[in-house]
Amino acid sequence: MSLNVDRAGTAFSFKGGMLPMTVMELTSADPEQIREQLAGKVSQSPAFFQHTPVVLSVEKLSEPHLALERICAVCRSHKLLPVAVRGGADPIKQSAWALGLGWFPPQEERVRNLESVSQSLPEEALPSPAPAGTAPVTNRIHRGTVRSGQQVSAAEGDLIVLGSVNAGAEVLAGGNVHVYGALRGRALAGIHGDREAGIFCHELHAELLSLAGNYKRLEDIDPQLLGKAVQVRLNDDQLTIAPLV
Amino acid sequence: MAKIIVVTSGKGGVGKTTSAAAIATGLALRGKKTVVIDFDVGLRNLDLIMGCERRVVYDLINVIQGEAGLNQAMIRDKRVDNLHILPASQTRDKDALSAEGVEKILDALSKDFDYVVCDSPAGIERGAQLAMYYADEAVVVTNPEVSSVRDSDRILGLLGSKTRRAEQGQDPVKEHLLITRYDPERVNHGDMLNLEDIQEILSIHLIGLIPESEAVLRASNQGVPVTHDQKSDAGQAYVDTVSRLLGEDIPLRFHEYQKKSLLSRVFGGGRR
Repeated sequence: MSLNVDRAGTAFSFKGGMLPMTVMELTSADPEQIREQLAGKVSQSPAFFQHTPVVLSVEKLSEPHLALERICAVCRSHKLLPVAVRGGADPIKQSAWALGLGWFPPQEERVRNLESVSQSLPEEALPSPAPAGTAPVTNRIHRGTVRSGQQVSAAEGDLIVLGSVNAGAEVLAGGNVHVYGALRGRALAGIHGDREAGIFCHELHAELLSLAGNYKRLEDIDPQLLGKAVQVRLNDDQLTIAPLV
Repeated sequence: MAKIIVVTSGKGGVGKTTSAAAIATGLALRGKKTVVIDFDVGLRNLDLIMGCERRVVYDLINVIQGEAGLNQAMIRDKRVDNLHILPASQTRDKDALSAEGVEKILDALSKDFDYVVCDSPAGIERGAQLAMYYADEAVVVTNPEVSSVRDSDRILGLLGSKTRRAEQGQDPVKEHLLITRYDPERVNHGDMLNLEDIQEILSIHLIGLIPESEAVLRASNQGVPVTHDQKSDAGQAYVDTVSRLLGEDIPLRFHEYQKKSLLSRVFGGGRR
């Protein structure tokens, strides 16, 4: 999640993103063997090899040291751009950094880290698990008041709150945020950059409204709109708040 | 099995200990066998409000650490039968509280008592979380001001997630709102939040409203829970609160501004 400050004075802003990425899972550490297999693949589907960024996963390898530089050279000669390494022992991490590559912890560990983070959140803050086999868009309905200090999020879809969002609480959604009650806390919609996302509430007192990283504080909101049922949308990087008729 | 009631608020100084003492006394006066536990380890106050500070030998931490039995540590109230006090330790800190120790004590007390009232410390740290963890019902004490309302809101969030009932997926903790230090005159002038605003923000059931009253301070300093002062508005309001806790339907009092009569203005008849 990111909030950009006054546009005129900043050179950049950080934004969260989830980009599709090809993972190249290595089962051999031998650069020559990799070269042979790559050569075969390129002839099968040349369209894929257009400076495609890849993450080299070395989790299946047990060697503490790798000829990482040579493996990268092999990849580049076949128009694959290694951008990061996933997994491996400390020496591999160090050599990845020395080559200017990023390093990700092994996948298994990352899942565990995520779990421990979720456990420390209030129970209600957990996103509901997506039913298996349905579309990846997962909307979430929260019944009851979202209280100060609580955070409720729908990472991918819309968040619908049947109740109020109190001061000091935070609601987030990859899609739209709907609050069927008073919105007194912070509401962030389109957290992955969806510029079409909006915020809708029955009674506007929000501490903060944010759409795709653009935000308005309570102080910036026209006092005439406070307490009204409104919709908030993004127009040319500006949040516009309009009463709901 | 006893009902375990936690008296909590988040914010300090809103009247948790006063309310815990008054509610426990009120329950005992209604014939319920009641024990009130001070969870504010390190800042022991309940014994002062209950007027038994000179009779403290052992405390909650001694019992948790096996240095004393429950019956040795519990103090019998001199004014009401059926009422016992389990004081906190003044010399230790809240790290001495353990979840297993608290559970053991509450289990033991549940067998003998009808009500266990837990007086929570301020804040949302260990002491406060342990005081609420095993609760069946919660009395959330709130003053008519914004910071107190926000802290109560935070506590309500924790009651819904960090209690045994929440973690084990049982029926949620029954939440009650108790508004204290309510001054209808100042509410009328807009200095204080009014009853409806507080209820709208917290959206839980109102169990009682205690007016701002000189009787409360007097009672604290004398070590007599204000429930005993039946001439005072605060004492009567706590009796009403206890009746509602016991499931009775009692109309709300003391929430409307009454203009002082000319006579009381002339003779300065303050509220009792």
